Parts: sequence; structure tokens; C-alpha cells
Amino acid sequence: MIIKQIPAFLISLVIATFLLVTHTTATNLIWLHSINMPVDFNLVLSTMATDLIGMNSKGAFPAVALISIVLLLAFITARFISTRTAIKKTTLYAMAGGTALFAIVALMPLAFYNLDLIAGARTITGRVYLVLAGALAGYYFGNHLQKGDSNALN
Amino acid sequence: MRLINLRGVCLSLLVCSGMALGNNDDFEIETLAEGLDHPWGITFISPSEMLVTELSGNLRRVSNGRLNPEPVAGVPTVLFAGQAGLSEVILDPSFADNNRIYLSFSAPDKDQPKLNQLYVIQARLEGNELVDQKTIFRSDPPRKTAAHYGARLAFLADGTLLITSGDGFNYREQAQALDNHFGKILRINSDGSIPKDNPFIGRPNALPEIWSYGHRNPQGLVIADDGTVYAHEHGPQGGDELNLVLPGKNYGWPAITYGVDYSGAVISPFTEQPGMEQPLKYWDPSIAPSGMSLYRGEMFPQWQGNLFISALVPGDIRRIEMQDKRAINEQILFTEFGRIRDIAAAPDGSLILATDGAKGKLIRVSAKK
Repeated sequence: MIIKQIPAFLISLVIATFLLVTHTTATNLIWLHSINMPVDFNLVLSTMATDLIGMNSKGAFPAVALISIVLLLAFITARFISTRTAIKKTTLYAMAGGTALFAIVALMPLAFYNLDLIAGARTITGRVYLVLAGALAGYYFGNHLQKGDSNALN
Repeated sequence: MRLINLRGVCLSLLVCSGMALGNNDDFEIETLAEGLDHPWGITFISPSEMLVTELSGNLRRVSNGRLNPEPVAGVPTVLFAGQAGLSEVILDPSFADNNRIYLSFSAPDKDQPKLNQLYVIQARLEGNELVDQKTIFRSDPPRKTAAHYGARLAFLADGTLLITSGDGFNYREQAQALDNHFGKILRINSDGSIPKDNPFIGRPNALPEIWSYGHRNPQGLVIADDGTVYAHEHGPQGGDELNLVLPGKNYGWPAITYGVDYSGAVISPFTEQPGMEQPLKYWDPSIAPSGMSLYRGEMFPQWQGNLFISALVPGDIRRIEMQDKRAINEQILFTEFGRIRDIAAAPDGSLILATDGAKGKLIRVSAKK
């Protein structure tokens, strides 16, 4: 049963990681463009590719590892809640995914003297975006589970 | 044949120069003081007496090689958290006449205590007490983070004071704007007023005390005898820089950098841009440069004019040989002490190293007799 959910979990992990990384890229490049640095389309693509590798291998913490831990904890908690409530799975897991990303952007600064290590999380808009990214990843996972339940009924 | 001779002469000069010293067997190494709580800044008030700041908030005296157990009284209460605390101590150029010293430190903002600011005060050292204190600088706007203060001080020959002010970590983009103190080197008079010949005086939306901008976390600042200003700054991952700082110039952070973010993200894909200055030297991987001294002493004559940079990672001293205001050579020294927070040259020419941490030491390095 659990093994069946692994591909869906990995895809939701990819969704959240991709959105977090590309948001960081966009945040940095939009600012550089705003001060008239020569940012063009090729540079956007190459920086995005560099960030997808760099943020998952060269940072103090690999983004994908951090997100996988918080998503896993959130989805386990959501699974526990789903057995006791009738909340729609897409809603429940979307909330779990959003909470997972919120934990990253809200708790990490508390551990590092208010330092926001993820550049994209330094504004309220950026934080909201990242929470929505987590919610989207959770929605995908919840939707997958819901489809599985429907298939089981058939 | 002439070429061979020239090579021989060059080799001899190299051996006779500073490069010949480097093995610790060449030095006398002595621990002057132990148990200092995060020592940060060092200054000599006489040939036999120095003041040392502890980040946790005490100003300590070391006299004739012995640490006075009583901290200097009257030091303002500081915010001690992360990189915040009591930082630099320097003497007034006329200290012998007026006993004035200058301290930099971080403390909560009076109106918004959850935020904090970098302060610089002037005070008179009377016995073992600070009196007649006056705040001459307060960074603006206040910050919520406890990191990247810069906080080094140095007097120019004209008696004006340079203050390094870091980017506050979360506010790095502000280093490119001239309406705030993040990521700047500032120049003020010793009473806190603004010199009339500062580079941005009269420019709309620019603070008149700004002297240079585009810095990250400058924690090394020295003025050479010819007035040249050298500063180094912590980069992110990679990209620590040694800069020759000129008034009105933009040093690029974070629009150009040789480092990447702690998250592994690209901060900027650019390393150079017209209108932005290049460093004399940069380090990748980072060495976390923490303090700097220009050597003028007699004890190691072959090192005169060299910059000595204390480094936290992995923990050593970098001797930078300068020629025509260029960094032409680097030697790594004293790798056995761990993280080194500051370095100062004593009046007798020996080097004083302050090791980092809650059990910091002062170590004297002298020539072997």
C-alpha cells in the first residue's frame, strides 16, 4: 500500500522543490533586472538550471532533502487525520503540503537569528507563494490518493 | 647566462623575503590571556597595555601580558546574540591627550526593541571606567536580524572616522541603494557630524555619510600610510573579498559576486559590471576573513607593508604581500589555533591573535630570539 504511493510522493516532492527553486531564481533575477543588470531569457534558463542543481547539491542543506522530510511528516499526519475525519483528501493533503512549506519558511529563521536562508522567503508575498507551492504538491498527492480510493470502490 | 643569474637573484630575494618565514619553529608563541568570551577587537593603549572587546559585552584590559580580572566599567549594554555584541574598539588619533576611545556594538532599537541597530560611541577612558559617552552613529533602518554588522572602525589621516556597516543578511539588496546604511562604508567626523567633502553630499535620496557602497559584511579595515583604504568582507559561499576602497565607488554586492548563497542558489550570475569595482583578491572557497592589520613593525622587517588577515575558516592567518596597491602573494600562517577572530600588531612588532569562541585566547607571536 505504502509502496504504491511512493511515485506520487516523489512527484509531489518534485513539484514543491521545482517551485521553490524557480521562485528563488526568479526573485534574484527580477531584482537584478530592476537595477538594470543585463538579464535575458538565456540567462534565466541557465540560472534556473544552475539553481536546480546547486540548491539540491551545493547548499548548506539540499532543498529536496529538506522538503522531503517536511512533506513526509505532513502527509503522515494528514493520513492519521483522514482516518478520523471526513475531510476531502485533496483539501487535507493540500493543507498538509502548505503547512510543510510554511514550517520551512517560518521555523528556519527562528533557528538562525531571524535569518531567511531562502532568498525567496524574505517577503510576505514570497512566503505565501511558497506555502501555495506546498499546497499544490499536497493537492497532487491527495488527488492521487482520492483516485486510488475511487478505483478501489469500482 | 644573464637570465640564469637573474633567476638566481630572484630566488635569493624570495628566500630572504617574507616567504622564508612560515614554519612555526621560526616564531616564539605565547598565550597572553585565556578565557575571553568571544574576543572581537584589539587595540593598544600603550606599549604594554591593550584593550580587548568581548562580543558578550565586556571591554577587557591586558596589562604587561596579564588580563585584568575587572572589565572596564561603564560599557553600554549590548545585544549579544548571533553575530551581535560589543565589536570594535579603537583609539582617538589624539588619545594621548584626550583619552578618547570609540566602540562599535549592536543594541536594541529604543523605539522598537525587537529590532536592533549598529551603534558607535565615543567615550573617555578614565582609570578603568568609560565616562562622557556620546553616541556618534546609529545605523538606519533598524534590523530584525543579528548578523552582518561589519562594525570595524578606522580613522583616516584627516581625522574623520570610517565605519563599516554590513548588509544585515536579509537586506542584501539594500547594499545597492543609497538611502540606508546596509552594506556601506560610512565616513563621519569624530563628533558624529558629516564631513562636507563626502562623495554623496547633495545627491538626492542619498545619505550624506555614505563613503562607499555595495559591501556585504566588511570586517577588516586598515588605512595605509599613504591613505589607501583596504577593507575585506565576508562573501557568501565563496566570494570573500579584499578591496581597495575609494570614496563614491560601488563594490557590487549583491549585483556581482564570486560566491553563491548558503542555500546553493545563484545570488547573481554576474561577476563584473561597468561601474562596479573588482576586488584586489577574492577567495573561493571562503576563508571567512574576520580582522586585518597592516604590518609596520620592526620585529619582522621583511613583512613591513604586508596585510595580515585573520580567518575563521578553517582558521589561520593570511599574509598578503602588497606591491603598488596590488595583492601579489599570499602565505598561510598559524593554522593550529582554530578560528581566529582578530589580529593586531603590537608596538614592539609582535603579532597578537585573538582566537574565536567562548574560551577565546590572546596569542602573541614574536621572532625567535
